Amino acid sequence: MRCVVAWQLALWGSLWVSALWGSAVSAADAPARPEITGLKFFPEKLELNGIRDTRRVLVSGQTASGDLIDLTAEAQLQVEGTAIELQPDGYVAPKQAGEARLLISAGGRQGALPVVVKDAQSSPVSFIREVQPALSKVGCNQGTCHGAQDGKNGFKLSLRGYDAEFDYLALVDDLVGRRFNRSVPSQSLMLLKPTQGVPHVGGFLFSEDSRYYRLLEQWIAEGCQFDTATRVSRLEVFPQNPVIDREGRKLQQTVIAHFPDGTTRDVTRDAVFSSSNFNVATVTNTSTNSGMVETLRRGETAILVRYEGAYAVNQVTVQGDRTGFEWQPSHENNDIDTLVNQKLRKIKTLPSELCTDAEFLRRVSIDLTGLPPTTEQVKAFLADTRPTEVKRNEKIDELLDSSEYVDHWTLKWSDLLLSNRKFITEKGVWAYRNWIRSAIAGNRPYNEWVSELLTANGSTFQNPAANYYRISREPAAVMENFTQVFLGTRFSCNKCHDHPFERWTQGQYYQLAAYFSGVGRKPGDVPGDEVIYPLRAPQAVVNPRSNQAVPAKFPYDHASAGGVDSHADLRQQLAQWLTSKDNPYFATSLVNRYWSYLLGRGIIDPVDDIRSSNPPSNAELLKALTDDFVAKGFDTKHLLRTIARSATYQRSHAANRWNEDDTENFSHFLPRRLTAEQLFDAIMTAAGSPVSIPGVPPGFRATQLPDPNIQIGFLDMFGRPAREIPCECERAADVSLSQTLNLINGPTVSEAIIHPQGLISRLRDAKVDNHALVGEIYLSVLNRPPTEEELNQGVGFLVGVERIEGAQDLMWALMNSPAFLFNR
Amino acid sequence: MPSCLSWGKRLVRGVLWTTAIWLGVVGLAPAAEEKPAEAPPPVSFYRQVRPLLQRSCSGCHQPAKAGGKLLLTNYEVAARGGEQGALWTAGKPDESLLIEVVTGDPPSMPQNAPPLTPEQVALLRRWIAEGAKNDTPASVEDTISAERPPVYTSAPLISALAWSPDGQLLAVSGFREILLHKADGSGLVGRLVGRSQSITSLQFSPDGKLLAATGGNPSLFGEVQFWNVAEKKLERSATLGVDTLFGGRFSPDGSLFACGGADNSARILRVADAQQLLKFDAHADYVINTAFSVDGKHMITVSRDRSMKLSIVETGQFVDNITSITPGALKGGLQALARHPTKDELLCGGADGEPKLYKMIRTQARQIGDDFNRIRGYQGMAGRIFAVDFNADGSKFVAGSSSGLAGQARIYSTEDGKLLHELPGSTRGIFSVVFAPDGKHVATGGFDGKVRIYNAETGALDKELVPVEITPAVAGK
Repeated sequence: MRCVVAWQLALWGSLWVSALWGSAVSAADAPARPEITGLKFFPEKLELNGIRDTRRVLVSGQTASGDLIDLTAEAQLQVEGTAIELQPDGYVAPKQAGEARLLISAGGRQGALPVVVKDAQSSPVSFIREVQPALSKVGCNQGTCHGAQDGKNGFKLSLRGYDAEFDYLALVDDLVGRRFNRSVPSQSLMLLKPTQGVPHVGGFLFSEDSRYYRLLEQWIAEGCQFDTATRVSRLEVFPQNPVIDREGRKLQQTVIAHFPDGTTRDVTRDAVFSSSNFNVATVTNTSTNSGMVETLRRGETAILVRYEGAYAVNQVTVQGDRTGFEWQPSHENNDIDTLVNQKLRKIKTLPSELCTDAEFLRRVSIDLTGLPPTTEQVKAFLADTRPTEVKRNEKIDELLDSSEYVDHWTLKWSDLLLSNRKFITEKGVWAYRNWIRSAIAGNRPYNEWVSELLTANGSTFQNPAANYYRISREPAAVMENFTQVFLGTRFSCNKCHDHPFERWTQGQYYQLAAYFSGVGRKPGDVPGDEVIYPLRAPQAVVNPRSNQAVPAKFPYDHASAGGVDSHADLRQQLAQWLTSKDNPYFATSLVNRYWSYLLGRGIIDPVDDIRSSNPPSNAELLKALTDDFVAKGFDTKHLLRTIARSATYQRSHAANRWNEDDTENFSHFLPRRLTAEQLFDAIMTAAGSPVSIPGVPPGFRATQLPDPNIQIGFLDMFGRPAREIPCECERAADVSLSQTLNLINGPTVSEAIIHPQGLISRLRDAKVDNHALVGEIYLSVLNRPPTEEELNQGVGFLVGVERIEGAQDLMWALMNSPAFLFNR
Repeated sequence: MPSCLSWGKRLVRGVLWTTAIWLGVVGLAPAAEEKPAEAPPPVSFYRQVRPLLQRSCSGCHQPAKAGGKLLLTNYEVAARGGEQGALWTAGKPDESLLIEVVTGDPPSMPQNAPPLTPEQVALLRRWIAEGAKNDTPASVEDTISAERPPVYTSAPLISALAWSPDGQLLAVSGFREILLHKADGSGLVGRLVGRSQSITSLQFSPDGKLLAATGGNPSLFGEVQFWNVAEKKLERSATLGVDTLFGGRFSPDGSLFACGGADNSARILRVADAQQLLKFDAHADYVINTAFSVDGKHMITVSRDRSMKLSIVETGQFVDNITSITPGALKGGLQALARHPTKDELLCGGADGEPKLYKMIRTQARQIGDDFNRIRGYQGMAGRIFAVDFNADGSKFVAGSSSGLAGQARIYSTEDGKLLHELPGSTRGIFSVVFAPDGKHVATGGFDGKVRIYNAETGALDKELVPVEITPAVAGK
């Protein structure tokens, strides 16, 4: 074990540089390979424990500057001793118990590696440890083949082999042993199909002389035995999180599987690899070439490694050609900036400058309150001569204490909690809205109000928190909502099978759902009301696979899980477990979600799909923010304040040469279209037009609407969510042609501009001159004064046309510009 | 800890290796191709071209798909060409369709797969240039015949059993053959070696003169075999479809033969000439078993699609779903079926492990959700039911099940549903059960490859036998 740690430490922060041979970059472009001063092997010593415990040695060369070069593919190996033999692909296989040495030559250097064979006794092929991984590796059980819901061509396997017993039945029992042939194993359908000995729509998968063929053939000859070998408990990938210098490099990875009995196996050849961003780097994934990273362009990618229900992620960073890059110390307002800059420096990216005061004011106003600033606010802010940081911080506090802040965040939470009269009646929607508003207005600690929500009982009219159980009505439905909103994870993926990208099992789906099995629902005294109450005998939650009722059980434990009061009501137990400071998902998912609201992208993105195969772009940043949020008592206002105060939040959207390709490390601001409600309210604010929405009191803004059942076509066109699923994706952020046409020709914009009480009518009545007219329009629409050029252009435009009509046209044109439609 | 800090030492040692040690190192990189001294031997269709077609082409150009009406599963069918005509002109690669489609930029074939490598294309060109000859050995895999019957290193699983009407013979499925045993288990009478690797069902004709088998080679062909029992000779056979057939059954008068198939259809053949008379396509999944009504005018079929269907023999017309068609009413497929010897009542079993008795004809209009025809269910068995069989008067039946790792065989009383006997002995799945014509014995077979004969009155195991001779595996194989 210790050696493994040493290897990790040795590689920490080291850079993987050119291995020119096999490089996609032509030799003429690339610098000559530096001299190798020594070889490093991983592991440092081989210990083989069993006839099928075969392993490969990673060979890397070290340069004088301490960088590493992967030489595994070119290394020449020779065996010294009789205990082991070399397989054609460079794997070392045991032959007999004893000791041997592997002599290794690469990059003009030589070394030797001791090998100990502890056990080389032959043993039967294990269905769990050998057959299942082979089926997974060649893809038999993948979702597009026999792992599909109905299988393929009459043959179904469990998706990615999560259910070994089911697969054993399919191979051995189905159709009276159709798929194997003990008399002549080579005539087994399960061998004829993948070798195309009989027609196979899935194609040719392995040959008769392959390792997999021999394993399966032996398993059949041994009588197709089932076994109860334990599955892998965790995976390790080496080298961990490598930083590779350039495009066109190759780097071989090794995957070590750890089993509960303490044994390990090199499963690189059987693990399934994929790259989250295959534009940055690809990874080989065949049984004969597995786990080799090939870099294509600068950037970062997560290599996802899957082996028999266990997952690991290896983050690969490709620096690319950064000749001429020099790190410049940049503004750091708080810890966020320190951690973001640390990452930027590592990947040789320079952050953008801070944005202007006007840009900041518009950005922070929209992000914290959903509304752009008024002309008066813009003028006052720009006229404030105090230091930038002082006045910006003061503005942030002012916005956080405004009533618009409450409206805006009430809308966000009403979306997430699916407040919708379809489910809880109109009266219920208003009550629920008020309950959410009071939590936001009072800045109640996040853990506290979520606890109250989850444990709520009583009349939904009188205790609106109970609406949570009026909206989702079945234990499984509540659980799916609960995990996506409060844990940022998608348990819906493991309803019918184990989660395909994460460790969650189908059993855990039902165990977690069982916490909601005691929720009773009955009509209230008032028509339309419903009462939520604890059932005396919880209803059974049945796992359809076993057809058995499942007891409630947490999918994972954490440091405080032991302190959960096991005698409490199931929902109280769950709330205690969920809102604990030690729950690794609860606070993190909220922090990540709020970060995405302000920065346009989660540190983990999508924000409600947290899983090990979707790693954070800056883990240290997420952890620091989470720790601070928890330490401050789950204070969401504090969290927003901290983010808004950071230089990272206040950077310009304009990119520089060294950060133009960055979209996930927050080196510049990411412009995003105003949301439906923000855009509607911004148009009204900019035009100075009073808002009048049918069904709500006059002056009610779109952001203040209680639910989406107030019909406004404009809002639906711009992606207002229907509040039917608890996914951030329900709110569409795209830009479409119909939106563009609506902004150009639609009544929303034109009626606001020509409104008799609007800004232009008022300016006309005030008889301002053309300079003032243009200036006021710019301030109102773009929240900044026009430049001199814009002013002259605008004034020139008004000469020669009907003045007021010209002013309306100017406002219309500005409202159709990206500077208005986007928050940037 | 020291071993972890030994990088430095190790590196020093690495440098100390003398070059002498490195002489004769075997490289892992592919060795430079050696220049052949003389002209290469002609390209072999069987060893070089066929595997290439197998890997890159026959996934689509196979009997089950026949893309472009072209088959590439062996030389004979490939030589026929497809809807675009002949695939090659011997001696003229440049005029051959095969070369045209695999070259081009991008090549039109193979579809949705990487193009052939230049070496592979060159191989095909050279094979055509050399005359596109077929060198497939005459009996390349078929070394088995009546003279050279199969040799077993372990007992094959038993998928089918049949008892002759005179009670003298027990037919047992083997690999590529049917084994005829004396019904008391006292000896092997004959080996009926045929073409089908897999024998999925066995039944004697009502007069006992014929033994019918269904089977085939999975994913290649299906076959019905009619054996002359007295002469132990294959009287007639029919090759049908591209996959195995299942659940063969003679009509009560012995003139017709019904069977199901992996192509989701059931078929009726005329026994006299093995000609297919009709094909029944109302099922949505493998049809595993069949039966005739008492008067022979109706055919009953069960399928993995969870339904038991009734059709008219003469026309092939679908009449009714005998089981409930309500979604979820039945779980998993049906695979076992037997008709009561004297009544139109049907015993079926399948994935839910519960034997169920149905009446054949619905006498009341269907209401959605009803399961009107169901007469009764019986105590559930472990796993899935693979086989059921009535005794001669229908008062009892035997059923066999498998859950993969375990199995059960039981005798039930038909009328009152009582479980009469739990048949001991097998630790694994039971795939086949049969009642002796006199009702005194039952036989079972399954995963472990052993035939077990029981006293049907007491449930006691009378005899256990391995129906084939086991030859120990040759060392080194």
